[in-house]
Amino acid sequence: MLTLYKARSVITMNESMPRATAVLVRDGMIVEVGEPEHMEPWLRHQEYVVEDQFVEKVICPGFIDPHLHPSMAAVLLPMEFITAMRWKLPWGEVEPVTDAEGFDRRMGALSTKKSVDEPLFIWGYHQLWHGPMSRARIEDIAGDKPTVVWHRSFHELYMNAAAMDMVGVVAAEIKPGMQIDIERGWFFEGGLGYAINRLNPWILAPDKYAAGLQRLKQVVHHGGHTTIGDLATGMFNFSAEAEALSQHLEGDDVPFRTRLVAHGTVLTKGGVPPQQGPELAEALLQRNSHRLHFGRHIKLFSDGAFFSQLAQLQEPGYIDGHHGEWLTTPEILEQHIRSYWHAGYQIHVHVTGDLGLQLTLDILQKMQEEKPRFNHGFTLEHFGFSTPEQIRQIQALGAQVSANVYYLHELSDSYTQNGIGYERASQMARLGSCFRAGINTTVHSDFTMAPAEPLNSMWVAVNRINHVGDVMGATEAITPQQALQAITLNAAHVIGMADITGSIRAGKRADFTVLDEDPLTCDPLDLRNINIYATVFEGKVFPLA
Amino acid sequence: MTKMITEKPITLIGGYLGAGKTTFINRLLNSGGLPSRTAVLVNDFGDINVDEQLIRSGSKSDQVIGLANGCVCCSIADDLTSALEVLKSSAIERVLLECSGVAEPHRARVQCHYPGYYPHASVVLVDALNHQQRCKDKYVGTLVAAQVQQADLIVISKSALNPDFCLQTLQPTIDADDQDAMEVVLGWGSDANHGHSIPTNLAPSFFTQTWQSRLPVSLADLTQRLEDLPGSVQRVKGLVATDAGIIEVQRVGTDTQLTPWTQPPHTAQLGLVIIASAADDLASIDWAS
Repeated sequence: MLTLYKARSVITMNESMPRATAVLVRDGMIVEVGEPEHMEPWLRHQEYVVEDQFVEKVICPGFIDPHLHPSMAAVLLPMEFITAMRWKLPWGEVEPVTDAEGFDRRMGALSTKKSVDEPLFIWGYHQLWHGPMSRARIEDIAGDKPTVVWHRSFHELYMNAAAMDMVGVVAAEIKPGMQIDIERGWFFEGGLGYAINRLNPWILAPDKYAAGLQRLKQVVHHGGHTTIGDLATGMFNFSAEAEALSQHLEGDDVPFRTRLVAHGTVLTKGGVPPQQGPELAEALLQRNSHRLHFGRHIKLFSDGAFFSQLAQLQEPGYIDGHHGEWLTTPEILEQHIRSYWHAGYQIHVHVTGDLGLQLTLDILQKMQEEKPRFNHGFTLEHFGFSTPEQIRQIQALGAQVSANVYYLHELSDSYTQNGIGYERASQMARLGSCFRAGINTTVHSDFTMAPAEPLNSMWVAVNRINHVGDVMGATEAITPQQALQAITLNAAHVIGMADITGSIRAGKRADFTVLDEDPLTCDPLDLRNINIYATVFEGKVFPLA
Repeated sequence: MTKMITEKPITLIGGYLGAGKTTFINRLLNSGGLPSRTAVLVNDFGDINVDEQLIRSGSKSDQVIGLANGCVCCSIADDLTSALEVLKSSAIERVLLECSGVAEPHRARVQCHYPGYYPHASVVLVDALNHQQRCKDKYVGTLVAAQVQQADLIVISKSALNPDFCLQTLQPTIDADDQDAMEVVLGWGSDANHGHSIPTNLAPSFFTQTWQSRLPVSLADLTQRLEDLPGSVQRVKGLVATDAGIIEVQRVGTDTQLTPWTQPPHTAQLGLVIIASAADDLASIDWAS
């Protein structure tokens, strides 16, 4: 049985036929793209149905987020969001809350909504917007309902007395110097680990985690994705995660596939020599199912977290003189890269600062000298700070870029003031240069570091507007055409799935994202407000309300 | 019944990759000198001879636990705090924590304030063969220098391979090959340099004092002062400006060596670090001139 999809317009992302109005699909695979009359030869002798609910809509290739973290998201999504930025979530849009009064008002509303003994977990607090937080402030609003207020960075949290009682914080154990301020109910850095060890029964409880994964499934659908990349499978625990993922992200009701990329450091944890990594990674392929796929991909780590200003920077560094950190000892990173490079793997390296990037590029250069490889797909993940010279190196070495462009929106203003200054802050996510250099470039959310909304990533990449409304580094903006390519075909290349998805052409899977407006002709400022009407995954329609 | 909460000391063993942390920890494990009820948390098992250790000790209270690098925001349950949580209610009385090669002691120290614990000392290994080169490395030069700066006690490794190596710093320094190196490391307390004892049941403890003179002293006077030092002084090390030029002082036990300093004087940081096993003796040294 054939299905004929008709649309106002089909944006194919196939350069050889950029636009069409009809797509013919058989058993989840595209067999013909073009105008309705081009379908005739197929239809003459075969039964078919016409799917015409999209005749007023625009069909795009199914969106792809090539880098997010389902397991982290599963922990966070059961929490309530009070954030300074807009988050569009399936169960309601989170309106920005940008002052202390607003935060308290919303905390109060959430508190009364919950039943008496149900603890309230709030995520998204940030002192720059929401003022100083404390146990007393929480208690003024939420009284003795156990309430935990988690910082947007995830690196600190506040609890009221009821929450501390609930999880078993022993006040007598807490002494000065422990990075716990018991009076304020504040747990940070070392003290955060103490709190998390006690909170784990609530946040990692199997039913919570399962509910979180179900929410993640909704979020991914809601964002219009038909493919995602889990870029650190095993971050908690390989078998538990793989089991949970196959339980919740596999099956006919799941409207997307997931490329699983194993966390390389965890894979060889326990003193396993890096040389044995590829062998262990190879064994993971046994777990593959229809929607969940390990490939010959591995994730490794260079420098520290961007949100915590732990990216390693070249001179002149941070304004306050502090230094970033290495997530992996440089020599050990090189050993890991060498081992996977020689085994023919596609390597994804987390890089945030320009020094972290330089280290990674220097290692890649060495690998190319040891064993030249073409089409190796080496990918620089996050790509916060870079220099124009590094763009040329990336191009020369044949690497690709997967950027968290949202950094620019949320952080470029505050990093201008308290971080690295205007020049470098305005050039975060140097995407225009990447496209001009012909580097395969995509954007990602690293969800929950940024909203899992490809149209929002597209909006930031095209407009480069930060949260206070300033345009930052206008020449690094990309066109809507480039941005749409970033979230479809280029993303498919980065996760090694361009043979089956990322564009609409005969032979690929029928993965579509169906929009009310045309993202290539609309006002670029409206990109993030385009309504997603439905997604189609392998020929099956999944409507969005 | 209320139980007294006894805080467990954590001794950090830091230093860059290749500085000899693993060798040093293996020696500790196999020396027989490791006090019982000591948990050793290693950064990753790597080359630690875990089995050998477990067989040797035959005691369930000694534990070697492997940790992987982790950040709470990226892994929710990081290995270190989970391990500390488990050990908190165990019979373990002290912890040796091997840091990752890229850890800065002051950031690692933060972790040692985990409820039920306190940071006892930051010991940093420095590799005599590669340290100087590594300090110039564009990726880790700053880090390696910071590791040394933030150390309470520096342990020089591989000095046999580079006997002329000299770390220009006024911090307490010992050699990994010294006979009593293990003893000094285990007994080191981070606030020892304030000249007072710390509440610990660990013995022996070591104390340190730094002496600097703005004016040159006479060589004879210096020699006399060194001879008069009490018996509990284990080590004296440093450079002193005298009427006979800059003199390098090295004393281990009662063996004192005074050598004229031949390198350019502007590289010399003047002062003596004195390490003693009795705080009172250290306090009684009155060298004010």
